[in-house]
Amino acid sequence: MKLRIEALAEATYVIPEGRLDFDAAPGFQESVERIFSAAGKAPAVVIIDGTGLEYVSSAGLRAVLLAARAAQRAGSAFALCALQPAVREVFDLSGFSRIIAVHADRAAALAQAQQGRP
Amino acid sequence: MTARRTAVPADPDQLAVLNQFLREFWTAAALAPPGMQPFELALEEIFMNIVMHGSQPGRTPWVEVSLDGAAAETVTMTVEDDGPLFDPLCLPPPDLAAGLEQRPVGGLGVFLVRQIMDAVSYQRVGARNQLRMIKSLAS
Repeated sequence: MKLRIEALAEATYVIPEGRLDFDAAPGFQESVERIFSAAGKAPAVVIIDGTGLEYVSSAGLRAVLLAARAAQRAGSAFALCALQPAVREVFDLSGFSRIIAVHADRAAALAQAQQGRP
Repeated sequence: MTARRTAVPADPDQLAVLNQFLREFWTAAALAPPGMQPFELALEEIFMNIVMHGSQPGRTPWVEVSLDGAAAETVTMTVEDDGPLFDPLCLPPPDLAAGLEQRPVGGLGVFLVRQIMDAVSYQRVGARNQLRMIKSLAS
C-alpha cells in the first residue's frame, strides 16, 4: 500500500492506495497517528480519501478505528470518503460506517465536518 | 469444475503465496474477477487467525487451502490446519451498536467472514480444524 498525506488549509487528507491488509495496517496507523501527535495544533479536519483503496480487511478496519479515536482525542473532525463499493461493503458489514462518517466525496465530507464549527 | 489445493506453514509471509494461489484458481476456473474479493478477505481473516492463535511454542501449524468451483456457480473454500482444536464460529459477534470509544478493536475478522459468505461451517476432522466456506457467484 502507498500512503500520501496532503495537508491543505481546509483539511488534512490521508490517501491510501492499494491494500489496507494486516501487512499495511501498522504503517497506516503510525502515519495517521503522527498527524495528531505532530508539534503544533492538530488539524481541524482529517479526511481519509478512499479513491485508490482497493481492499480492506479487519486489520485495516482496526487501524481506521484507532485513527478515528486519535482524532476524537485531538478534537479533530474525522471522516472517510470516496470508498470503492467492495471496500464500502466491508465498512457497512462491520458496522463501522455507523460510528465513522462515510461520505461520497471530499466536498461532502468537508461540508459535514465543517458544520457546527465556528 | 476446477479444483486446486495447496499447503503452507502458518507464517504471515505465506499469505501472499495463498493470495497468488487464489488468483491462479480464479483464472483457471474462468471466474469473473469482482467475485474474488470476498474469498480474498476470508482467506486473510482465517489464515491470520491461525497464525495468531494456532501456534504453540516450537510448533507452527500447517494450513491447507482447497478451492472448488466453476464459472457462474458456487465456490467452496476449505481451510484446514493441524493446530489445537479451535472453532472460530464459537466466537461471540462484535457489538455493532457500541460507539467509537467503546467498540472493541478485535473479534471482527470471523464476523466479517460469516457476513460475506453464504455458508460457513466448522468441523474437527481427526487432528485438524476444518473450516468450509461457500458462496454463490450468481447475483
